[in-house]
Amino acid sequence: MSTELLIALIPALPIAGFLFAVLLGPRLDRVPTHHDGHDTHDSDDAHGTDEAHAAHAAHDDVDDSAFRGIPTEEEQAATSPHAGHHDDLANAAGADGVIPAELNDGIGQTGHVTPGGPQPVYRSWFVPVLLVAASWVASMIVFANVVFGGETYHVTLYEWIGSGDFHVEIAFLVDGLTAMLLLVVSSVGLLVHVYSIGYMNGDRGFWRFFAYLNLFMFSMLLLILGDNFLMLYVGWEAVGLCSYLLIGFWYKKPSAAGAAKKAFVVNRIGDFGFGLGIMAIWTALGTLQFEEVFETIGTLDPTLITVIALLLFAGAVGKSAQFPLHVWLPDAMEGPTPVSALIHAATMVNAGVYMVARANPIFAESPVAMWVVASIGVFTAIFAAAIALTQNDIKKVLAYSTVSQLAYMFFALGIGAWVAAIFHLVAHGFFKGLLFMASGSVIHGAGGEQDMRFMGGLRDRMRWTYWTMVIGSLALAGIPIFAGFFSKDEILAEAFNRGYYLFYVIGVVVAFMTAFYTFRMIFMTFWGEWRGPAEAWHHVHESARTMVAPLVILAVPTVLVGLFLGIPPEGGLIHTWLEEVFHHAEELHAGVLPGSILDEALAHGEHHGFELFGIGGLLLLVGATAGALGIWLAYRWYVLNPDAPRRFVERIPLGLGPGMYAASVNKYYVDDVYQLVFARGGVYLSNLLWWFDAKVIDGAVNGAGWLASRSGGILRHTQTGRVQNYGLGIATGMVLVLVAYLVIR
Amino acid sequence: MLATGVVGGGLAVVTLRNIIHSAIAMMVCFGSLAGMYLLLGAGIVAAAQVLIYLGAISVLILFAIMLTQAGDANLPAPFHRQVWFAAVVALATIGLIGWVVISTDWGAGAEAVAVVLDELATALFTDFALPFEILSLLLLAAIIGAIYLARRPEEDERAN
Amino acid sequence: MGLSGYLVVSTLLFGIGAFGFLARRNSILMLICIELMLNAVNLSLVAFNAYAGPGEVTGAIFALMIMAVAAAEATVGLGLVIAIIRTRQTAEVDEYSELKE
Repeated sequence: MSTELLIALIPALPIAGFLFAVLLGPRLDRVPTHHDGHDTHDSDDAHGTDEAHAAHAAHDDVDDSAFRGIPTEEEQAATSPHAGHHDDLANAAGADGVIPAELNDGIGQTGHVTPGGPQPVYRSWFVPVLLVAASWVASMIVFANVVFGGETYHVTLYEWIGSGDFHVEIAFLVDGLTAMLLLVVSSVGLLVHVYSIGYMNGDRGFWRFFAYLNLFMFSMLLLILGDNFLMLYVGWEAVGLCSYLLIGFWYKKPSAAGAAKKAFVVNRIGDFGFGLGIMAIWTALGTLQFEEVFETIGTLDPTLITVIALLLFAGAVGKSAQFPLHVWLPDAMEGPTPVSALIHAATMVNAGVYMVARANPIFAESPVAMWVVASIGVFTAIFAAAIALTQNDIKKVLAYSTVSQLAYMFFALGIGAWVAAIFHLVAHGFFKGLLFMASGSVIHGAGGEQDMRFMGGLRDRMRWTYWTMVIGSLALAGIPIFAGFFSKDEILAEAFNRGYYLFYVIGVVVAFMTAFYTFRMIFMTFWGEWRGPAEAWHHVHESARTMVAPLVILAVPTVLVGLFLGIPPEGGLIHTWLEEVFHHAEELHAGVLPGSILDEALAHGEHHGFELFGIGGLLLLVGATAGALGIWLAYRWYVLNPDAPRRFVERIPLGLGPGMYAASVNKYYVDDVYQLVFARGGVYLSNLLWWFDAKVIDGAVNGAGWLASRSGGILRHTQTGRVQNYGLGIATGMVLVLVAYLVIR
Repeated sequence: MLATGVVGGGLAVVTLRNIIHSAIAMMVCFGSLAGMYLLLGAGIVAAAQVLIYLGAISVLILFAIMLTQAGDANLPAPFHRQVWFAAVVALATIGLIGWVVISTDWGAGAEAVAVVLDELATALFTDFALPFEILSLLLLAAIIGAIYLARRPEEDERAN
Repeated sequence: MGLSGYLVVSTLLFGIGAFGFLARRNSILMLICIELMLNAVNLSLVAFNAYAGPGEVTGAIFALMIMAVAAAEATVGLGLVIAIIRTRQTAEVDEYSELKE
């Protein structure tokens, strides 16, 4: 089996899985309905109308009181620990978890519907997961060939568009960059599929979930495998669509539906800029194929290159949730946790980073664009970290953490540390996926609770989850040995070496904050005493094996990837693998500030190497210390001295403490500003335009009709039917003609 | 003097209320015109004028008036509302045509030359023979048409 | 009187006839005015013939033709008017407005 065929199979298998799930999925599951005790093959939630419910109720002759599927709104409110807690605005809207009665037909929030009556069966996972596993095998074979064999593959399938001068082929390009992404996407994707078997068990939309997951895999793989900008864009849009479908998976929940819309719309804003950038590329260069574009990009006017680069980056800002388009990602936590793990940690949000890395020749030609990328990256990093400090929902902490870590990657790309960025991408994909899935396990085990204020003491009951999550957190905090340490410190070292001293300092501060909020999360969740409802404590249990196994599997690369790829620092294996992808940008010394250490070295023709007992080692120490300090502070404040955070806030001078806290909890009011300016402004504008359309435009049309009618009515009076009137008209005309003839001669 | 008769008669025609008076005025006008033709030396035309207009058409009109008893009614409002506009138009017409007529050099002689009857007669039957014959046809058609138009409906009597 | 004089008279008569045709309300009177206009034209024709075309007879013959045609037209026209008056019992042209919009 040739490698080219394998490459073609990689995206083909998931799309086959999607088709299978869509066509046969409903038949394979047997999901209990909640009105009659009979099995129906209608395993999905099609009936929402009152008439349909009434019709079903008419057949209700089976006592299904044993089947407690649908709690009423009162029941939901009574048993929810959120009841009465609306002080946390970050979790306010819909956060009390109550689904309105007329919409609720058993779609669980965490996937548990209490069974009773006939045993439900969920079989539709088998083929989709199998196909994704096969795709993973193919991906790994290709990865090995590329990385260890040093090959780059070009596979052309057929010409898609051939219209005059515009030619686009369906073709795949697999080089070192694609291979790294394949590793992350395929592996984490497969693990999430396996995890979902357990997590989504009991959900009425079980088959639909796997269909969407497979569709997502197909789209993401298309995105990273494509060899031209148009295929990238197609995959880009498709993952945006899948993100919408998956975030809004529980579509009857208003907050979920709203979050899905928000994600898609905000994404689309970035995509608009991205689309313009692609059009600009084609207009200027006549081709969209990566290699052809990168060869000729240098011939363009520098301003044009900057504009193109910034437009492309706009797309990345939207897709990878950087400021100011970051607002969709925290709300996207409305989706099931596997979705968060896959899309918002390990794969989709990486698309922006991949795209900028892929287009590095374009960015390398434009120092302005690179500076913009780095600045937005640094700013978003500290901005998101500042919000994550005060969040109480465990998934929201991880969401903002994702935004912050992605910002690190953009920071790295912007300063020219391309390899470091990709390294961090790979490491982050693994440990963030791990963290999300572990948090899903926590939520599952805690009976659907997501608020960390109502957790605690879980480490004894959920050992596997606890230890894997700790490993993930250590990686995220950048503790030595673990993956995050090598990648994050490489980024910081590059920042220092290239002369970005201020950004470096900010980066270190963010590392400290990251460690702090991560371990705050750990301590609040697993240590101390259980703070939730007493009955719920009895149900706290470790999760099923299908859920825990992926956690363990992911813990391995979390520990090892750093060691494997990143040693020696600033020159590890990953540099060798990715050398060819970035060599053009390296030649240009993109991102190196004058007067910096690297600049000096290059000027003298030396290669700057890593010195353990020199600058390099010092930077490593600084990074590790920042991480350790963060953990220590979290320990002091959340284990030893729980009252300390509150007192700290009070002691902040000038009484700014509570205000700063509120600002952080409310996400610095960015969403509120958007609501005011764009949502309300948009409504106002559309009302204005409606007025214009109804009154002016319609008025003109109606007015034309009125005018015709009126003038007709007036002219009608000339038709008197009397000969003499007509005669007078004729005579008058004759006189006028005479006058005209005689006078105007 | 004849000019006065012509113009005065015309004015009388259009301004008199009673239609029979208008008809009489018309006859006066025609008579004056006949006199003018004589002065212009067109005796045959004058004769034709008297015969046809004064003798036939005027009588015809008087008959029509009397048959329809339209003359008994003294019209309360003989003029339309558009009378003033019509007057303006008429005056404009007169003015324009008059101006053209007066200011054009017609190459006219000083004296009216009489029409020679022999030549007229000859021309009528040679140069203008065709119009002459067509005219007869026209008159025939007119007679038939007039008879048809003016007959009383006979179907009622037949039905009875 | 000179050609101009006759022509002026003719013009005046024509104008008067036009005015009467347009301004009076009796249908028979309208026919009378038509006759007036025709006569005016006759006069100008004969005048031209006398003054500007010595030796010519065309003008006189034309005038005779016009007279004949006028007679025919008066005949038919009066027949029509009588028929209309009989039908509508009125000679007012204002009433003949069937073709009104």
